[in-house]
Amino acid sequence: MAISIITGGFSVFLLCHFAGAVFEDQVGKFDWRQQYAGKVRFALFDMHVQSSKKVLMATEKNVFASVNTRTGDLAWRHVDSTGPEGNIDSLLLHGQDAVLVVGDGRLLRSWDINVGGLNWEMVLDTGSFQAASFVGHLDSVRYVAVLKKAAISLHYLSNGHQKWLENLPESDSVQYQAVYSEGDGEVYALGLVPNSHIYIVAFSVEDGEIIKQVTVEAPWLSDLGANCVVVGQGVLMCVDVATLSLYTLDLHLDSEMTQIPLQTLELEVSPGFQPVLTSTQPNAAQAPLSEFFLQLGPEHHLLLQLKDNKVVTLRDFQPSLLVSFATTGEKTVAAVMATKNTTACTIILYSADSGRRLLDTTLIFTMEPNGGKPERLYIQAFLKKDDSVGYRVMVQSEDHTLTFMQQPGRVMWTREEALSDVVTMEMVDLPLTGTQAELEGEFGKKADGLCSMVLKRLSSQLTLLQAWMGHLWKLFYDARKPRSQVKNDVTMETLSRDEFNLQKMMIMVTASGKLFGIDSKTGTIVWKHYLENVPANAAFKLMVQRTTAHFPHPPQCTLLIKDKDTGLGVLHVFNPIFGKKSHITPPSLPQPILQSLLLPIMDQDYAKVLLLIDDQYKVSAFPSTKNVLQQLQEMASSIFFYLADPSQGRLAGYRLLTDLSTELLWEVVLPVEVQKILFVKGKRGNEHVHSQGRVMGDRSVLYKYLNPNLLAVVTESTDPHPERSFVGILLIDGVTGRIIHNAVQRKARGPVHLVHSENWVVYKYWSSKSRRNEFSVLELYEGMELYNSTVFSSLDRPHVPQVLQQSYIFPTSISTLEATLTEKGITSRHLLVGLPSGAILSLPKMFLDPRRPEIVTEQSREENLIPYAPEMPIRSEWFINYNQTVARVRGIYTAPSGLESTCLVVAYGLDIYQTRVYPSKQFDVLKDDYDYMLISSVLFGLFFATMISKRLAEVKLLNRAWR
Amino acid sequence: MAKMNELTRVLFYIQAYVVLAWCFTDMETGPSNGLSTQPNGDRFKIEGRAIVPGVRTQDWVSKARVLVEGEEFVGFLRTDGSFAVNDIPPGSYVVEVVTPAYKFDPVRVDITSKGKMRARLVNHIKTSEVIRMPYPLQIRSPGPNIYFTKRETWGWTDFLMNPMVMMMVLPLLIIVLLPKVVNTNDPEMRKEMEQSMNMLNPNPELPDVSEFMTKLFSGGSKGSGKPSGSSSSKGTRPAVKRR
Repeated sequence: MAISIITGGFSVFLLCHFAGAVFEDQVGKFDWRQQYAGKVRFALFDMHVQSSKKVLMATEKNVFASVNTRTGDLAWRHVDSTGPEGNIDSLLLHGQDAVLVVGDGRLLRSWDINVGGLNWEMVLDTGSFQAASFVGHLDSVRYVAVLKKAAISLHYLSNGHQKWLENLPESDSVQYQAVYSEGDGEVYALGLVPNSHIYIVAFSVEDGEIIKQVTVEAPWLSDLGANCVVVGQGVLMCVDVATLSLYTLDLHLDSEMTQIPLQTLELEVSPGFQPVLTSTQPNAAQAPLSEFFLQLGPEHHLLLQLKDNKVVTLRDFQPSLLVSFATTGEKTVAAVMATKNTTACTIILYSADSGRRLLDTTLIFTMEPNGGKPERLYIQAFLKKDDSVGYRVMVQSEDHTLTFMQQPGRVMWTREEALSDVVTMEMVDLPLTGTQAELEGEFGKKADGLCSMVLKRLSSQLTLLQAWMGHLWKLFYDARKPRSQVKNDVTMETLSRDEFNLQKMMIMVTASGKLFGIDSKTGTIVWKHYLENVPANAAFKLMVQRTTAHFPHPPQCTLLIKDKDTGLGVLHVFNPIFGKKSHITPPSLPQPILQSLLLPIMDQDYAKVLLLIDDQYKVSAFPSTKNVLQQLQEMASSIFFYLADPSQGRLAGYRLLTDLSTELLWEVVLPVEVQKILFVKGKRGNEHVHSQGRVMGDRSVLYKYLNPNLLAVVTESTDPHPERSFVGILLIDGVTGRIIHNAVQRKARGPVHLVHSENWVVYKYWSSKSRRNEFSVLELYEGMELYNSTVFSSLDRPHVPQVLQQSYIFPTSISTLEATLTEKGITSRHLLVGLPSGAILSLPKMFLDPRRPEIVTEQSREENLIPYAPEMPIRSEWFINYNQTVARVRGIYTAPSGLESTCLVVAYGLDIYQTRVYPSKQFDVLKDDYDYMLISSVLFGLFFATMISKRLAEVKLLNRAWR
Repeated sequence: MAKMNELTRVLFYIQAYVVLAWCFTDMETGPSNGLSTQPNGDRFKIEGRAIVPGVRTQDWVSKARVLVEGEEFVGFLRTDGSFAVNDIPPGSYVVEVVTPAYKFDPVRVDITSKGKMRARLVNHIKTSEVIRMPYPLQIRSPGPNIYFTKRETWGWTDFLMNPMVMMMVLPLLIIVLLPKVVNTNDPEMRKEMEQSMNMLNPNPELPDVSEFMTKLFSGGSKGSGKPSGSSSSKGTRPAVKRR
């Protein structure tokens, strides 16, 4: 007990030394966060108060959020678990209650949209969810009806309790797909036997008793949900593409459908187009409107009206891209979006009951040049003071962008929801400014005469002075304004490298195929580019082929997009600063790609060479100029690569041959029946290690085993039984295939997170024996002397390194793991741990040191080793993102800056958070709270003191001389 | 008094342990198996309530979540601070309420295959130790999360109490005050002082480093170098020593 107290005290003492805590006045100074919700599945405007500023969104990321329509910021957000359990099936909104059906009809939740708290949550019976609807009774909405495959249930809106639950008749043959109510005491469940008949069951709202059951012949109908809507006073309207007809059926009366051929309405369907019906029911306690939309082609909509069992065309919209209904008060309007030209669309409102165009309702929507097409339209209509209808519109595009606009086309905000799903990212240095580049360029040329050189130098110095003055003026001007008001206008011109290279360009690749270039200092999106035709299950790999260091050659990034099923890949080459697609045509890749690697060799234009290995083990190079091929031939014998095939448990190493074919060097097969390969991780290419060894307490040096070709292979047992499961770590030399070390963690299972850097591997697993998360660290040392201190060669290392290992308990589970990275590797390392709570913990690597002693000795104290404690401490001061949590953190990207002490960190998941960390504090730059006032006042004080004392001394001397 | 308290607490734990061991004899092997989810097994509900003393629930519930075993199961808080996480198979779970502003301690909840629940303190080191907590859970926040460290602010007292400043101020005082106390014009006194100065410089014959350096760099011009060298030696010698 006493010992643990002492160690506790010791670690507290250490904390004061290493903690990279944030100071309160630094909030928002170097860091920013952007919160996202994901691709919108359902969006509804809060209408119960006229002045409401909320739009509620349920997204495909299982997020339910409220967005402020004035600013576009999230008011609150609820992040459910990923996977089908959290999937939002339906969103209904009534007053200030939002009702959600979650997890394939498993849960029914009601949220208070003002507070963002849960009103109630109900567990529903199992059964796959079909439809949900509000049920009104006596002119007010009181219940929620949930239709499942075999049952229908009615719940009170106020507390979620079930009013009744009824089994649906003949549910094994009939597919129930829709539920309908118009507040007259009946709830209709509409079912279908495909290509046979429609089955309609009416239940009494009061007690769930079946009032009537009707079977209607409909041999042409195969899908009720897609082809039918209810319009008017309970009339089921269906469209059939085979007979080109509309069918109507009065749910209350008829038992047969009435056919209305489209020809009688003088309408034609575009060939191959499935017509779509859209209706609207503004109030659940009343019947839907008798007006509805019929879409006949990709750009052709009609506003129709059902009147006395006859369909009347109110207005024909051609061309029209998207249509939507919106209701405010008693008025319902139809909004129609039509393409104006290639870059803009117009949105116009029409009165729904007459089809008459409303005056002054034109809104122009400008499409992004490299964006996606508009996909959905959400209209927020409101009554103006003169009782006319005004509106705002939210447009959802293919690239998951939400644009909120008001008349006549002012964009109030845009949300790039694609950024909720960042797959991979890179950071690229910003280029030098024009003047800086000019100065640099001056040294290259020699031809000009002396005089012109001098003049040129003077003029460029003048421009520099001017830029500096401008900068000072801006600093002075901004300093007088509060920080929140300072606008950081990021334009292409102002994008230039700062003195410490702390501002970089973040290139983010999202799963939707949209690429973003974000300024790391402010978080402003500088450019965006939507790649069309990206497969849904694509894997992305982003590589920086040429950095900004090779002026005048533009920087160049290459994105490899690979279809996971077929393995076929596409290359997209672009300029990372401006986002423009490069004029270089990338090679087409007819064969599936197995592996890609970026070599350090460059072509004559300073672009690094990218090698792609296809399934025939043939290698192609990009760029593949003569120069490159020649270099490759020279280098071929020293280019090695590995392939991992988890399905066969095979790990193989290859060597490049001069004719760009490959040769198998080694192969390791892990039996698939016993264990499967989870992942293989090498070291990062841009990592520098400053010190070759560690100085021990007795002044001897323990040299690190710094093998750049080392691979860490993580395997997990296929047997999930907690007694027999294990996690294995294999350290393999990627060149020779030599197994350097093999560690097995028994009674453990994944998920495994691993960081491989310098001479250490840190990994986290779940110990099923003790039901806790554990960290384990492996450190490799050559021993007390180096075999070959000048260069490391995998082929010539006869000694197996010493491996030290230690494990620790980590008190919470983790989401992701990464290590800090600095320019020269002098700064001590920290591990950045993303926690499920959204916090990012900066854990000093010192705590994960296998040499931590159990008993403190003089030597270990000399080495500054912390005594071993089984449980890893977590302190909220170590959270680098304080209360700016990153929901569902998925990856952390670290990049070195120009300052050795500073590492740039970007955490991405549902949110994006950017900050800087100083693992060894800011040792190379004045702190940002440096007291300039004090130092200058002291200096001035001393200066004046010397002046005065000088004067006094003179007077004294003079007096003495007189004496 | 403290001892007494401790004793009673220990007694309570022992008692609790005995009671629980009796209640949950079927548990000890159970929970580890329970984690492998049974597709058709019974699912249970973890219920509880989170309380932040002195703060209205509306102010914090919208940002709070209940996480069961990482993010495996997620629950939300009602507007009154209570929560229920549904559809949980039997097993042993760490339940945590997370919200950016307030700290909450995690609780371990064990669910038997029959649906019996118990809550206990999370102890990662002695995993089988049972210190029982109330169920349905009552999770009270110990306070707000502290993310920030205080800046070292500058104050006059810090400045004055700094050892360096003390070291500088005291000799200054001595220099200013000593001549007033001691009469320097007295020849005897002067002699005494000179002697003491010589005592301070123990070996005047020893070649001085700075002298050597000045000789080296001044090169051939020895004549002019000497007086300046000797004058500098007096000034710099203490400085060299200090290094």
